[in-house]
Amino acid sequence: MRITLNKFGDILIARQAGKESFAAFQPSLKSVLPDEEVEIDFSGVVTFSPSWGDEFLTPLHKQHGDKLILINIENNPSVKETLKILDGISTIPFKVK
Amino acid sequence: MPDEFISIGDAARLLDVSIDTLRRWDESGKLKAIRTSGGHRVYRKHDIEIFLNDLWAIASEWVSSSAPPELPNSVYCPTSPVFQARLGKMQAILKDANAIEHFSLLVAMAGEIGDNSFAHNLGNWPDVPGVLFAFDINKKQIILADRGRGVLKTLKRVRPELVTHEEALRVAFTEVVTGREPEKRGNGLKFVRNIIQDYPIDLLFQTGDALLELNRKQIDLRIIQRPPIKGCLVFITY
Repeated sequence: MRITLNKFGDILIARQAGKESFAAFQPSLKSVLPDEEVEIDFSGVVTFSPSWGDEFLTPLHKQHGDKLILINIENNPSVKETLKILDGISTIPFKVK
Repeated sequence: MPDEFISIGDAARLLDVSIDTLRRWDESGKLKAIRTSGGHRVYRKHDIEIFLNDLWAIASEWVSSSAPPELPNSVYCPTSPVFQARLGKMQAILKDANAIEHFSLLVAMAGEIGDNSFAHNLGNWPDVPGVLFAFDINKKQIILADRGRGVLKTLKRVRPELVTHEEALRVAFTEVVTGREPEKRGNGLKFVRNIIQDYPIDLLFQTGDALLELNRKQIDLRIIQRPPIKGCLVFITY
């Protein structure tokens, strides 16, 4: 499954918004098969921050472990800096393609 | 060049405040009007422009006064959705200006700091709720301020041993700790510090009587004492 993040907006900042986005997307994740990869596509996201990321990515990471793959992060410094922070507080680093 | 004068109605529109507010500001001396021979208030257009641009003075006065002055609507965000909308506007302006490659980091920093103000003061604002959020792309500056409880009071709930604003500021910028336990939070200001380490962005962050200065050359926390303020006052230049 691929989750296109910019469908939640191009400015992903507030913790509350991250929490709501995660809750809203839960029903769609029910169709993911046990060994299926979940790709998070960052293309089209302009601004990304740890508050939103911690509410959305951290629980997804817990749910899907190394099946969670982040893609298209290269051109956005706010995505890269946010992942540095989230990696620092998580026990397992995020997988990036 | 002769001075250009504008009516109180036009000045109110430019500043996004009511005419009554401008009358009060005239009486208090905050923004003096000029009286015509007929007794009407008019303003030098240049004075209005200076007033609008002196964002730091507006913010400093707002967090320093025991009776906070009324803010122009153009910079006051009473609720988080208003703040988010203005942040979106700043993102669009910075993106269009195409002047700075890492503009998304400025938006993310401002977003984290402003979001903190709302998250930590929700239901607990001491007097005026919300944040002041202003930016000037010509001067390359972003200003945020709130009259909230400040970093010390927020962190004291989970770190009761903290005594001074300086200690609280140091913890906030160096440790993953949250004033909203048991929620796992508290990485926003570390994120801000990391960015400043790697990019040409300067930060002044004051809470209580402690002022932190951070830039790429000064990444160790240098905190000095200043006259105390309510809440937090932040100045970002790039």
